[in-house]
Amino acid sequence: MRRRAAIAGAVTSAGVLAVGWVAGQAAVAEPVAVAEPADDAPDAGGADGVYTGDAVDTLYGTVQVEITVAGGELTDVEVLQQTNSGSRSDQINGRALPQLTEEALAAQSADIDAASGATYSSQGYLTSLQSAIDAAGL
Amino acid sequence: MPPVPAALATRGAARDDARRRRELAVDVLVTLIWASAAVAVALYLATGVVARMSSAADAVTALGAIAGLVATDLVLVMLILAARVPLVDRLVGHDRALAVHRSLGKPALYLLLAHGALVIVGYALADGLDPVTEAVTLLTTVPDIPTAFLAMALFVVIVVSSLVAVRGRLRYEVWHGIHLLTYAAVLVALPHQLSVGSVFAEGSAQRAYWIGLYVLALGCLLVFRIGRPLVASLRHDLRVRSVEVVGDGVVSVHLAGRGLDRLRVQGGQFGIWRFWAPGTWWRAHPISFSSVPTSTDARITVRALGRGTSRFAALAPGTRVLLEGPYGLFTERARTAPYLAVAAAGIGVTPVRSLLEHAQFAPGELTVLLRASRPDERYLWDEVRQLTDAAGGTVLTDVGPRAASGASWLSADAVVRGLDLETVFPNLADSDLYICGPAGWVSAVEAAALSAGVAGHRIRVERFES
Repeated sequence: MRRRAAIAGAVTSAGVLAVGWVAGQAAVAEPVAVAEPADDAPDAGGADGVYTGDAVDTLYGTVQVEITVAGGELTDVEVLQQTNSGSRSDQINGRALPQLTEEALAAQSADIDAASGATYSSQGYLTSLQSAIDAAGL
Repeated sequence: MPPVPAALATRGAARDDARRRRELAVDVLVTLIWASAAVAVALYLATGVVARMSSAADAVTALGAIAGLVATDLVLVMLILAARVPLVDRLVGHDRALAVHRSLGKPALYLLLAHGALVIVGYALADGLDPVTEAVTLLTTVPDIPTAFLAMALFVVIVVSSLVAVRGRLRYEVWHGIHLLTYAAVLVALPHQLSVGSVFAEGSAQRAYWIGLYVLALGCLLVFRIGRPLVASLRHDLRVRSVEVVGDGVVSVHLAGRGLDRLRVQGGQFGIWRFWAPGTWWRAHPISFSSVPTSTDARITVRALGRGTSRFAALAPGTRVLLEGPYGLFTERARTAPYLAVAAAGIGVTPVRSLLEHAQFAPGELTVLLRASRPDERYLWDEVRQLTDAAGGTVLTDVGPRAASGASWLSADAVVRGLDLETVFPNLADSDLYICGPAGWVSAVEAAALSAGVAGHRIRVERFES
């Protein structure tokens, strides 16, 4: 009877796990990162001002940045929304986002490497940044 | 051996059917424990964590999360097993439920340690830090991580204090105090599950599952270990009537109350008792009913062991009594065979006394062996003799120190006379064997029975501290 319980337990558990696995694969099958239309229409190419990037949905929350252009140069990136899935996200963002901003300002573009260990934050950040740069016509 | 009389055989077969149904229920319970851990993992997998993995760091972190989920599941299952849920007691008995509880302790701790280690390593890989720096960063910058570390430390202390080698050196009160910290550990572990883990995210199936499991575990505790004893104690107005010294260090506590028959105590069961008197109220004692309660009277008999127990003799009439229970499967209902063989030693006679009072026997169905090391340990023997005689059964007695060789659970005298389990209990092959006494003696009889070919499910034991 112990054997019966062990077999029943193992088979039931395997079934439950399989269902969970399949559900998990299905949950991520649809593409999730869908860019929303830009809030601001491009006013003038390369003109000084503040440009808001697209809000980018990632698996861990929406990311959106706003850039400041002065003298035809990218001078600041401000994060309006960041991934938000618990305090671990905050820890990752606290480390990764300043690093991305620093590199973007140095490169004057969104064509930089993602921060390690912050795949989704980086993906959202860089996509939003690219749309803001496009809007500014830099 | 003569054939089993038809009437006995029929009742024996009915009991065996009941046993099969109980065993099926036990298997369902065990399967549910397995499945609960699997559901915890499956709900996590269903969030798509595997499909989203983008690095080795993610994989390590996910493994850590799974270890934590299974560990939490096991801890909550352990709480339920120790909550003395009546259904569980009826099916497997409190002692076996606690045996499962104990067997889960170390696996749960290993999983918790793995959880901590894997998550820190996973995060460290992701952040490009070494694990120690990552642990310090987590402790200092992420909210609710310090309490998670505290919970881990508590769990380590709780499990270590319960290891056989350590527990034997601790006073019961110390061990019990440490064990109660489990509830604190479960509670301080909660915040990080809410904020860092996202298992409680609004509207998710994980949230529903975990809230359900926490409510079930803590609810069982509140209802069965606190609420019901309080209500029963007040409703039945359970109080000490008198204390009677039965032998050296052995007392019967007579209890008075209202409607005590509605407690539905079966002969052979025990309760967990708490006496509201100075110096003893904070400690609960497992003590067997030595007679089946009437509507106004109950009796329990206990041997004075340890500090709190010696205060029984000093209990004043009118002292309020809190009862958890009745519990236990040392009862007529748990029988599986046509005949009943009972072996009791020392204070182990108490549940036998009430078992015989409760059950009905056909002539020749019952055989009782009473053991005592010394003549002054023949507690309640006269009462057992009377009940056995009235039931048409046979009583054998054996007084004297345990034999050094041979059947070591008998006296040296009895071994010289050539007695063993089969000569004491002539119908052993068609009997349930109920054994009650000091733990070492019970194990010796049990071993003799198994080697004589008695099936494990026909042996029922109640072990007393000695």
